[in-house]
Amino acid sequence: MDDDDIKTHNARERRKRSIVLALVLGGLVLLFFLMTMVRMGGHVLDMP
Amino acid sequence: MALVDVYAGPERRIASVGDYFALLKPRVMSLVIFTGFAGLVVAPGHIHLLSAFTALLCIAVAAGASGALNMAYDSDIDAVMARTATRPIPMGRIAREEALMFGWWLSVASVTMMGLFINLLSAALLAFTIFFYVVVYTLWLKRSTAQNIVIGGLSGALPPAIGWAAVTGQVTLAPIVLVAIIFFWTPPHFWALALFRSDDYARAGVPMMPVVAGKASTRRQIFAYTLLLLPIGLAPAALGFAGPLYLASAGLMSAWFLSAATKVLFERDAVKEPAAKKLFFVSIAYLFVLFAALIAERLIDIAPFGAWL
Repeated sequence: MDDDDIKTHNARERRKRSIVLALVLGGLVLLFFLMTMVRMGGHVLDMP
Repeated sequence: MALVDVYAGPERRIASVGDYFALLKPRVMSLVIFTGFAGLVVAPGHIHLLSAFTALLCIAVAAGASGALNMAYDSDIDAVMARTATRPIPMGRIAREEALMFGWWLSVASVTMMGLFINLLSAALLAFTIFFYVVVYTLWLKRSTAQNIVIGGLSGALPPAIGWAAVTGQVTLAPIVLVAIIFFWTPPHFWALALFRSDDYARAGVPMMPVVAGKASTRRQIFAYTLLLLPIGLAPAALGFAGPLYLASAGLMSAWFLSAATKVLFERDAVKEPAAKKLFFVSIAYLFVLFAALIAERLIDIAPFGAWL
């Protein structure tokens, strides 16, 4: 594998890593939101 | 000397998503998720589906974090063993320090999430599991005693108790029995592997039982631990938290396990070790079938849970 191949490979991997990281962070945000709802239970709608 | 050459040209390949995934030891992680799931399912009581998913996610991430930390601290050993030489750190695709940061951050995140969203007992057990695997087993026992995998096996045995604690908030006799099954299963399982990989361990200077005590002694100890394991494997049925499906499965698998361990005891081919290779796979099947039977019984609701409620 020469330098050009490695540069192409690295660019592709950086993009893939960024996408996976974004998906993980998005998933965590959603999970934290939903778990907060679960922990609050039915009382979430009982706000004055 | 390392078995593989690390690429040292002007432009280096960066680590791929697959390399980070490999750092999490996905095969070990799948067994941990499975046994943790069994604890979660078998435990009496109710847990919200999303909470169950979160608990399993925390167990999985903690197992992965432990794997990454193990690979980071053991990268010198991994580089000289054929079985592990192609892991991301010895291959030079991920730096050891990067793996350490990755592993410790995932550890903190998984324990914190477990504490915040599930309960403190399961979080504490999760933290203890990581500590035991990384500090007690990897950093201390693995390089210093032939009993490394016997004592260190506790960390791999705890996931059912964590799953149980996630549902009930306590640890009773039933999850301790499940932990004991995995704890006593670990020596025959790993020593079977060590028998046919003993040269690898000897080259790396890891004091595994066949390297330190010899193969004959290891065969006897495998057999002794098998005799200890089999009644414990039947205990869930005897104690009433497993039913007839589990009893039948455990009985059949125990007979197969005993047969494979007996063949290892009388093995004459100390080079290829065919009996040890077979026992290694039989042991995996044994654990899988036992826990699958527990899960299946709970799911089809034929286990006598009335006694626990």
